[in-house]
This record gives sequence, structure tokens and C-alpha cells, in this order.
Amino acid sequence: MKFDTVIIGGGLAGYTAAKTLIERGLRCAVITEGLSLKDVPLRSLPCSLFVGDRVLSADVEDGRVLALHTLRLEDEPLEADNYILATGKFFSKGLLVDMDRIYEPIFGLDLDADQDRAKWFSTDFCADQLFLHFGVKNYGGGRVALDGVMLKNLFAAGELLSDISGIEEDADDRIRKSAAEAAANIR
Amino acid sequence: MKNIGREFDVIVIGGGITGAGTARDCALRGLKVLLVERNDIADGATGRNHGLLHSGARYAVKDSESAAECIKENMILRRIARNCVDDTQGIFITLPEDADSGYGLDYQKQFIEACHASGINARVLDPKEALRMEPSVNPRLIGAVQVPDGSVDPFRLCSANILDAKLHGAEIMTYTELKSFIREGDSIVGVRLLDKKSGETLECRARVCVNAAGIWGHNVAELAGVHVGMYPAKGALLVFGHRVNNVVINRCRKSADGDILVPGDTVTVIGTTSTKVPFEECDNMSVTREEVELLLREGCALCPSLAQTRILRAYAGVRPLVAADNDPTGRSISRGIVCLDHETRDGLKGFITITGGKLMTYRLMAEWATDAVCRKLAVTAACTTADKPLPGSEPEDQYKEVKLPQFAGANLGMKASVGRQGSMTEKIDYTSEENRELICECEQVTVGEIRYAVKELGVTSLLDLRRRTRVGMGTCQGTYCIYKAAKVLAEALGKPEMEQQLAEEYLSERWKGMSAVGWGDTLREMEFMQKVYKVGKPTSFNR
Repeated sequence: MKFDTVIIGGGLAGYTAAKTLIERGLRCAVITEGLSLKDVPLRSLPCSLFVGDRVLSADVEDGRVLALHTLRLEDEPLEADNYILATGKFFSKGLLVDMDRIYEPIFGLDLDADQDRAKWFSTDFCADQLFLHFGVKNYGGGRVALDGVMLKNLFAAGELLSDISGIEEDADDRIRKSAAEAAANIR
Repeated sequence: MKNIGREFDVIVIGGGITGAGTARDCALRGLKVLLVERNDIADGATGRNHGLLHSGARYAVKDSESAAECIKENMILRRIARNCVDDTQGIFITLPEDADSGYGLDYQKQFIEACHASGINARVLDPKEALRMEPSVNPRLIGAVQVPDGSVDPFRLCSANILDAKLHGAEIMTYTELKSFIREGDSIVGVRLLDKKSGETLECRARVCVNAAGIWGHNVAELAGVHVGMYPAKGALLVFGHRVNNVVINRCRKSADGDILVPGDTVTVIGTTSTKVPFEECDNMSVTREEVELLLREGCALCPSLAQTRILRAYAGVRPLVAADNDPTGRSISRGIVCLDHETRDGLKGFITITGGKLMTYRLMAEWATDAVCRKLAVTAACTTADKPLPGSEPEDQYKEVKLPQFAGANLGMKASVGRQGSMTEKIDYTSEENRELICECEQVTVGEIRYAVKELGVTSLLDLRRRTRVGMGTCQGTYCIYKAAKVLAEALGKPEMEQQLAEEYLSERWKGMSAVGWGDTLREMEFMQKVYKVGKPTSFNR
């Protein structure tokens, strides 16, 4: 299956990016594990919507994403000219953490994250918590890198980025803005 | 300084299970009792253990005396504290690899013989039978033995002892710290105390003072000018997000780290470790990554599904181990009960230390300490604690179905109140709709039970409330309920302005335990908890 843009994640960032691109006439697909937020009317978008599916892996070559492999579309890779990754932080599994490492599970993108776990949590629940500022490193406009090499057709948006924390007061505005910026990279 | 000249027969120092039990026993024997505790009841090791109702089987092979003590107290607690006890039964399993280290089925035979010799009813189970009895147990087991283990809620047990002491005239002062002893010649005749809430100091006098302060008893003894050689042994534990097993699972081998898995109310607890720690650390225990790894590894050997189960939090307590008096090296450490009359030991009159022992034997420790007090006061009243039920634990027909009109059509929360408070549930006002409302859904705690705890059980904070009602102890760790609980509590305390502070204090305490295991699904939950309290809230949980 081939699209102009495939958006991974159907939260506020994924929805905003898809809406922007569809309005520009692009043929989009959105892959999302669930439909959760009432103010994200994904179903109203004229696009291919893969609900309850999850991206397991990606083919990447020479700094370009070629295709995605999902849990449900077993033998049918999803191909597109461009991709937007909007999978959020920990709760939505955009970032996975085990005892030894923190990583972005689909592409293994470069992250901003302190390796010293002693610094992750403040003992005061109400104080700022460093781990909420971890995420994919943003090289401007949602550009991301893999092992130090910038990817040409993959852009990240929303809370997955280290510079956006959902805790902040203006988080929703910033998430929408980052999605619009990521979409603006796609010509 | 106020209240100079307040006189008691006995002052008990420490509001853990030992102090609570001692205060109750003394009060039941007609003594005028004061109990002082520098924080809340059950704040030390009492509230930081497995909550295991030992059958004694664990000690049977190595220490038959402890084993016999345990099974005797086990049977007593089932009678007198039935409302705090869950008769889950326990199994000791043998895994194939245990045979390689000398703990195969030959050892199992020796284990069963030792159990029988100590009066513990141990029965061999076929591995298939064990799997039927406890489906979560490691299916690779090659042998199993059933023993009368169970689980006991140590908070509830401590609170019931405190309540009964109060009902028999004892005075309980929490958040009251011992600053020094009043000494006259070669006698301790009273204490100087600091009321930590008001900042006031006061003096109380008594003919005997009992040091029942657990590991902090070391410092209490120093204040009295005597030395008790104590060894703080830290034990770390992990709580899992739901009740994985219904039967206590132990390893049938020499006691080791992380070899007991106990179901407690809505959760499951694996423990424990044993590490000597400096005294300075006893007030602020934290669990290390190495301890978590070890507990997880050993826990998965007992019950493989733990590997996929969310860890709720980690915590640690400090056992008050005591070195034998005749052993200056401190190598000969006893896990048994130590009751010291400092008059015969050190020439200091009016001072007794009760320490060592364990949760399981608290009643016996209290009996020994009270016997020693009575000897000093020439009181002849006999101990009745082995027979007299604790409040809430009266015989079944008196409470199982609380037969009050207000219980017609009881909701789950009201039934949970009966489970926790037993016959004391009668004191909860369930006549109003409002009091029947649920606050904590994980543990099913109602507005009515919170108001009862404030009125009758000496609650000053959400942390205190947790120890009386289990509020916020379940799967969500307070994520969904603490803001509601804070409002109900602040109003019940008559201090509505404290709502935010109460919630912050509680959440930070939960946060500490979660941070020690901050990865995987626990970390996901932590992000969620932060968002619930910080995003778009009018009050500021976000600094």
C-alpha cells in the first residue's frame, strides 16, 4: 500500500499533522493503537485509518524510510514518500524504558535523555521531573536523526520530542504547533 | 513545659506492633499506660515487611524454638486477630535446580520431619496438586509441601492493639518524640517529650519505662545511659500491581533472599533481602537497583508471571536484630525475642527493653515485657492477650454480617469496611448516602470509613489514614483517589485549608517507592500520575 504520507500515532499531534496534510490534498494514512481523546475526531478525517494496529519495524536505507511493517498488515508493508512519527512519550509507548536503556522502539531514533537514573525523578512529587523532558532529539521543525545521521523523510511531532512536555500549561498549543511544523517539511 | 507531674504506671516508647501490643497487655492488666511514638503507629518495621503470617516452617530445620514459637502465635492470631488475618495457606516448593545445591527432595523429607517436630502441620503435595492449589506457581516444581501460612495486615493489627489499649484506658501520643529520660539516682522515673505538631515540651513520670522502639531502641537505650548491641538489618521488598497468587509461595531450602511471595489484600509482595546498614540510614531507607534485580529474579523462580506484572513500588524496613550480651564481636546475632531488665543487667531501675523477635511473635514479646513490668510493680494480674480477641476480631457470628439496618443493601465499599474494621464497622455511620460514597476504588474505601478513622483511630494525615484504611495502597497508588481523599480528610479534620498539603505529602511518599522501580509499566504509570495531578489543575501540584 502506498501513500503520500503515513502518520504513526493518532493523538493530538498525529491528528493535527494528518488534518494539515489532507487539507493540502495529500493522500494520508494514520496508524493508531486506539482512539482515545474526544477532542481528536480522527474518524472524521478523509484518510486511511488503521485503528488497533502497531508499527513493528521499518526499512531504512541511506537516510530514507522505505516502508513500515505493522502487526496486522503482516505481508503488506506500508510505503510513503514521507512519514510522521507522533507516538508520544512513555504512557503511549512512544518511548520504551527497561532496566538498562531508554529507546524509541520503531526506528531507534537519537534521544535527549540523561543516562544517570539518579537524576530522573525528584523526590518531591510536585517538583519538575527530569524524565518528562526526555524524548527524540529535535533538529528543528521535527527533523530527527538515527545514529547521528539526519533522516530525509521522517519527522517527529508532539510529546515524543524532548522539547515538548505534556505537563506544561501550553502543551496542547505546542503539540499542535510542532505537528504543523512537521507537516510543513513535507512538500 | 506543661503537664509536669503527669503520673503513669508505665510508659511505653514506640508505637510499632511491639509497643502497641505491650501497651494493650499492660492496660488489660489494669496498669495506667502512656504510649509515645515519634511518628505514626506502624511507621517503622511494623509497616515495612511482608505481612506474612508465618507458620514457622521457614525456621523448622535450623531453629526449632523459633518455629514452635511461630506456630503457637500463628494459631493465637487466627483466634484473637481474625479480622487482620487471611488464611491463605502456604506452600514450600522444590525446583529442579534446588536438587543441585543440596536442597532436593531429600531435604524436603528433613524439612517435613522438622515441621512436625515443631508442631507445624506440614503435608506433601503432588506437584500437580500444588499447581491446582496455586496456578501461578512455577510449573517446573518437582515437589511441594503445604503449611498453615497466611497473610496478616500489620497496619490493621497494630491499629487494633492501639485501639484496645485506648479502650482500656491507655493514653496514646503519636508524633511525640522522646527527648530524654528523667533520672533520679539509679532509677528512670519519667520522660521528657516533644510534641512535634505543637512544638511544646512536656514531662511525664512513670514507675517503669519500656523501650519498644524497634531498631531505634538502640538510641532510646543510649538516652537511658545503657547499651544494647543492635544490628540494623535492612530488608527490601517489591509490591506487584495485583494479587498474582492466592497462596503464600516459599522456596523449600535454606532461607535466602527473595524467597517468599505473599498475597496481601489486593496486591502481592516479594521479599526480602538482608543487609547490615548504618544507624543513620534507618530513618530514610531506599531500595537499590541490585536489590530490585535480585528480588525480581528470585520472585520469577517462584512465580514466572511476575516478569510480566507491573511493579507498584519498592520499600524497605529495618529488622531490630540484637547481638548476644556475651559476644563482643557481634557475630552471634539472635533473631529471637530479647527482653532486658536493665536493673539486673546494668543496675538501672525502672527501665526495660523489649526487642528482637518479629511481627509474628509481637504478642509474646508484649507478654514478656508486661510480665517484667508487673514484676517490678508487684502486680499479679495474669496475661489474657492469648485469648481475648482484638477489637474488630470478635467471633464470626458477631460481625461477619454486620446485622444493622443500615447494612441492608450494603455496597462493596461497606463490605470492604467490614473486612478491614470487622465489628468496629458498627461505629461507621452508613446512614447517609454521602458516607456510602467510594473514595478509593482499588481498596474500596468510603467517605464513612475515612470519617470514622479520623474520629476513632487518631488520623492526622493521608499517610496515617493509609495505615488505618489502606486508602491509595492499591493498583493506582492514589492516582485516581488522593485528591478526593484529601478533601474528605481535610474537612473531617476541620482544616479544609490543608487539602493540598495532605495530598502532596501522600503523593511524594508514593512517588519515592515508585521511583526505585522507575521503568517499564511503572514508569508509564508515573507519567500518567504526573499528568493527572499537574495538567490543567486550578490548584498547583506543579512547581
